[in-house]
Amino acid sequence: MAEKKLFIDALKKKFKEEPTDKQTKFYIYDGWKQSARKREFVEWAQKISKERGVPGYNPEMHLGGIPVGQRVLMPYKISSTDVYCEGDDLHYINNAAMQQMWDDIRRTVIVGLDAPHALLEKRLGKEVTPETINQYLEVVNHALPGGAVVQEHMVEIHPALVSDSYVKVFTGNDELADQIDKKFLIDINKQFPKEQAEALKKAIGKALYQVTRVPIIVGRAADGGTISRWSAMQISMAMISSYKLMAGEAAIAEFAYAAKHAEVIQMATLTPWRRARGPNEPGGLPFGYLADIVQTSRKYPDDPVRVSLETLAAGSVIFDQLWFGIYMSGGVGFTQYATAVYTDDILDDFCYYIADYVKKKYGGFAKAPRTMDTILDVATEATLYGLEQYERFPALMETHFGGSQRASVLAAASGVGASIATGDAQAGVNGWYLSMILHKEHMGRLGFYGYDQQDQLGATNSFAYRSDEGLPMELRGANYPNYAMNVGHSGEYAGIVAAAHAACKHAWCVNPIVKVAFADPTLKFDWTEPRKMIAKGALREFMPDGERDAVIPPH
Amino acid sequence: MSEIKVKAGKYKPAYPGQTIVAENRRKYLDPGYQLKKLRSISDEDVVRLLGHRVPGEAYKSVHPPLEELGEPACPIRELVEPTPGAKAGDRIRYIQFTDSVYFAPLAPYVRSWMAFWRYRGVDPGTLSGRAPLEMRERDLELVAKELLETEVFDPARVGVRGATVHGHSLRLDENGMMFDALRRYTFDKNTGEVVYVKDQVGVPLETPVRVGKPLPEEELKKMTTIYRVDGVSTRNDPELLNWVKRIHLLRTLAGFRLEKAEKL
Repeated sequence: MAEKKLFIDALKKKFKEEPTDKQTKFYIYDGWKQSARKREFVEWAQKISKERGVPGYNPEMHLGGIPVGQRVLMPYKISSTDVYCEGDDLHYINNAAMQQMWDDIRRTVIVGLDAPHALLEKRLGKEVTPETINQYLEVVNHALPGGAVVQEHMVEIHPALVSDSYVKVFTGNDELADQIDKKFLIDINKQFPKEQAEALKKAIGKALYQVTRVPIIVGRAADGGTISRWSAMQISMAMISSYKLMAGEAAIAEFAYAAKHAEVIQMATLTPWRRARGPNEPGGLPFGYLADIVQTSRKYPDDPVRVSLETLAAGSVIFDQLWFGIYMSGGVGFTQYATAVYTDDILDDFCYYIADYVKKKYGGFAKAPRTMDTILDVATEATLYGLEQYERFPALMETHFGGSQRASVLAAASGVGASIATGDAQAGVNGWYLSMILHKEHMGRLGFYGYDQQDQLGATNSFAYRSDEGLPMELRGANYPNYAMNVGHSGEYAGIVAAAHAACKHAWCVNPIVKVAFADPTLKFDWTEPRKMIAKGALREFMPDGERDAVIPPH
Repeated sequence: MSEIKVKAGKYKPAYPGQTIVAENRRKYLDPGYQLKKLRSISDEDVVRLLGHRVPGEAYKSVHPPLEELGEPACPIRELVEPTPGAKAGDRIRYIQFTDSVYFAPLAPYVRSWMAFWRYRGVDPGTLSGRAPLEMRERDLELVAKELLETEVFDPARVGVRGATVHGHSLRLDENGMMFDALRRYTFDKNTGEVVYVKDQVGVPLETPVRVGKPLPEEELKKMTTIYRVDGVSTRNDPELLNWVKRIHLLRTLAGFRLEKAEKL
């Protein structure tokens, strides 16, 4: 597959010259005017400035009058799609699909129903049957978006503002699943290939979980930390209403704990003070959870590279563009770093090359010995192959903004390669770090300052599991101390985790419950193909959830 | 200058590799190796390029001369002879280079290693597309002159850029010049020389600064410290590859199986 050089089509579209040409022209492209998107920005900005009387966007302000576009402002191909867009279309703020991607995660909390059901039956003497569960689901789907269920004379929320909010359930018990009203059920048998479905059902067992999608506007008005609170409040109100509970008896305290807190699964943990955010914010999202949230393995179970690349793209948006680029930094620079791994089929080419190498040398995926020798071999080959492509095709080198992108793409290919070879994410990330120092010695350069720190000492903690020293890669996240400062890494680590499990054909990475929660066809963001969604967002064809039209003047 | 240079001693830079690229790295790092002078740039022109002061202007200071300062008793102060700039209380200023991937003599890491091996009182930075070097101002001017006049500079493939450094990984233009969004330099087709018309942060120069003719690529290939598949490939330098792998293995094992690392 890699013999085709997957990136060639994109390079030919991006540049006039042949990808192998060593010379080009600069300073002749008329600056920002060469870009349709920048022209649109200027048109809008002029209109806005006139209306409000305060000047705004003006690309002539760049570099004291030297506007962007001294070199060709090239388009970007979203990898694995036929879609070309401008770089601007990939900034998180400009791309509605990217926003939906994060909104879908932040607004989700999973809450087990077994504990409250047990308490209802044993402590409060209520009968819980499939019929009562279906009744409860009707009520909670009224309550969660902002409907009142217990008190008289309550204010409520306009349904048009919260149409994205609902509750569904799933279980590993086919018999119970059959009795749940289909409109409330995430059907494991329907959403997953047979082998994956069987594994998931076995892991989940008879337990019944509800997936609550709190209104997007709530997360945006407050933060991810409020999601479980909103969910808890409306779940308990729905339970009180559905099961006719007395509001205030002592047993209700126990019930409230069981219903609201005992079996809550947040999507992300809270972050420490210097990067403080509540739960369900991107800094606390473990790589393994993101690998479970992405659903590519349902659609392409035999293609671990595809699974990895889709996870990696989602991770780059969430960790690099959103967490580091907006939450932790602000501005526009991070997009250039993050997009390299999901544009122009470059990482695709490098990953499929190394996957072929692994297949040929080790007889398949996850079959190589889990040894340092395997890591040294695979990561070295991936790194040298990638470096050689950059050097043989000068346009390929040029399409990246700079060395940090090159470093992350090469290290990602090496990490994915080592993961796929061994079926072990720890081995994968160790391959990443070898790639970094090989790259450094080869080119005499690597990434920006941060790469000196994270990528020089990363090898030393890559196999460390003990508390305060490390964690399994699946449970690390952007908030892992060594990873907390560097763009161009965390998304890739999520891809390395996904690669290891996809190579082993696992049905999930770290949490089967999270995997099933996002196998939900009601979600507008198709988690089986994040890159396709990003492309739709770039083309302005993605219709997101959440809006305010119902309560603002017609426009 | 002698007060700023590290004296060559019994320790020599130990860098692995059996190729010309590895040899060049060892050579440039070695303070005992005299860098070949390829061009002359006047002291005033170096000052103009740097843009920190006007030629002839007195150095600004951030503290009184050390002699007047009355330093506290300190064994480190007694051990380390201050550089002239430190003695005078100069500001710390910078020069920053962008080195093209296309066979520039130096690459950022080699620049930093070289600075540490050759000069005293330096604070180099290392990024992919730029390499800042910070020193006391009068020391910096001397070092900058050496870095611009000798074989570690090429007018087309090395840029003096304080800001907006983008260009190291872009193809060269029709004159073989590296891209510079600020167009600090031009190629004079009549003389074949590169001429700086702006200082390193892009302030126009009243008097342009000529930095000489670019070297032919074949020459650069002999001088470069950059491995490339169309030059010297890393695959052809097993000593370097094996050394990197060994470093990686040691770092990895040291993290969780120290006893194994110690036996390697």
